[in-house]
Amino acid sequence: MMTRLDTIELEGMLPRVFVSESIPASDVWRGKVVFRRGDRYLVEAASGGGKSSMCAYIYGLRDDYEGELRFNGKDVRGFGISEWQSLRREHIAYLPQELSLFPELTALQNIELKSTLTGGVRRERIEEWLHELGIDSRRNYPVGCMSIGQQQRVGIIRAICQPFDFILLDEPVSHLDEENNRKAAEIIMAEAQRQGAGIISTSVGNPLLLAEPERLKL
Amino acid sequence: MRLIDRLLRKNMSVARIAGFVLSNVIGLWIVAGGVQFYEDARTLWSADDSFIKTDYLVVNKRVTSANLWQDSDSDFTTAEIADIEKQPWVRSVGEFLSTDYKVQASVEQGGRGMSTMLFFESIPDEFVDVKGSGWQFREGDREVPIIISKDYLTLYNFGFATSAGLPQMSENIMSGIPLTLTLTSDDGMRQQRMTGRVVGFSNRLNTILVPDTFMRWSNRVLGDSRKSTRPSRLIIDVSSPGDVAIKDYLESHDLEVAGDKSGSSASYLLKVVSGIVVGVGSVITLLSFFILMLSMSLLMEKNRDKLHSLLMLGFPLRDVGRPYERIVVVSSLISCMIAIGGIFLLRASYVAPLEGLGADCGDWWSGVLTAVALTVVIMIFNVIAVRRKVRSSWR
Repeated sequence: MMTRLDTIELEGMLPRVFVSESIPASDVWRGKVVFRRGDRYLVEAASGGGKSSMCAYIYGLRDDYEGELRFNGKDVRGFGISEWQSLRREHIAYLPQELSLFPELTALQNIELKSTLTGGVRRERIEEWLHELGIDSRRNYPVGCMSIGQQQRVGIIRAICQPFDFILLDEPVSHLDEENNRKAAEIIMAEAQRQGAGIISTSVGNPLLLAEPERLKL
Repeated sequence: MRLIDRLLRKNMSVARIAGFVLSNVIGLWIVAGGVQFYEDARTLWSADDSFIKTDYLVVNKRVTSANLWQDSDSDFTTAEIADIEKQPWVRSVGEFLSTDYKVQASVEQGGRGMSTMLFFESIPDEFVDVKGSGWQFREGDREVPIIISKDYLTLYNFGFATSAGLPQMSENIMSGIPLTLTLTSDDGMRQQRMTGRVVGFSNRLNTILVPDTFMRWSNRVLGDSRKSTRPSRLIIDVSSPGDVAIKDYLESHDLEVAGDKSGSSASYLLKVVSGIVVGVGSVITLLSFFILMLSMSLLMEKNRDKLHSLLMLGFPLRDVGRPYERIVVVSSLISCMIAIGGIFLLRASYVAPLEGLGADCGDWWSGVLTAVALTVVIMIFNVIAVRRKVRSSWR
């Protein structure tokens, strides 16, 4: 079991569905990219460009790709279920585009489900984040009754309340205004800096406002 | 309740789980109750006679006026024995050997002597079921163990002793009295004196039985080796005592079954009926197993998105499966306990009448063990099914 995840390497990687198609020039697909812990990355793409696929590959949700994906230089194809599960609890935080929140649980319960599992964050800290993102008054509402923008903010807090070396954010602020975008980016960057972690965020036009990210075109 | 339990038990149908518990209780109760009843009722026959199993038949040729004075006609020829051995319901055949010399038995009791002519027969040891080492004879021994028919003791006690003014004897007293045996060859030239000791009384063997080894030794020493020794009775180990084929065969060959054969057909009937009951119960239990498996599968299918999301958050497989495993274990244990209670009720209703018939209803654990074993099997297979389903939701 690894103690720290320092690099995520993608080499010659391509989703299988793209194999027979001609795809536009890309920094990621068929190329070589190394994500380093501590750095910030913004992956931009047109819709259908495969950014959700890239996140799913890195998070171990899918493996329908060609080429190689390496963690600390080790090919992930040999990883078993329990290895992936512990990577998810201790090394990689992930906010999927569809959020995957539990609609019948309240905002606070959704967050606590995760923080109890990972033993990550104190209750007061969670309350602070809810306040900063302007949803503290909604903390006891079932998530199913919230707007998409509010749900995105709950999702962001749930993603960061765990130990991680990388945080993967798939279009995290698509439904947020600039003000909330900036607040979210500040919270994420602060937590990533505290943990010495890398940030990988994707976007189709409304990017998370990270400070000086390395931009990659998918 | 923990959040994860609350999430994963959503969509749980209490009616379906209750349906499983009900059908499982009925199935377990029938199977285990059937096993328990069989164990209890079986003693009706097996307690009767511990020297010979109920699956043995003793047969002889019917005595008719035609073979009345011709000894050899009531004997079995080698071909006849071979024909019996060929029958599908026969496991093995043993021959009764008789003494080829004269036997005189005498009892010395308080100065009063009593003496009578006797005969012995023997069957192969594999057919005699005597516990311990009481049924043994080695060349050189001076004491011979004997099993006599219980009827003989009854005849003596109620027929002879009362009319002759002799004391009646219990089985224990009879076993304690040593018999002095005088064995004399037919020509009167050779004689052996031995001591006989009664080691048991049989309801089903109408003879005076001695060990096979004694019979062979004494016939060699005292018998006439030129005489043929064809058996007039056979003991047959049958695979299915109630089979009509046995009755047909015996009738067509003019053979008689000695002793009480109703016991063997009744015990066979008990076996068949218990088999049917246990079979029906097993089918119901199997169906209840599938009800539980399908309800769990349906429940997990309905919650598939939640399973997937929890695994995506990094929950270990065992945490995600545990709420479902708990449903399996708890509902199985509840039905097992209800079924065991039902077995005790059932047993309470039949023990008194069965014991009135002479059964020995001692042990209650065969039914309980059956119910527990089936429950463990149902739990293990369902827990395995749950784990496979969780694993399949991972990706």
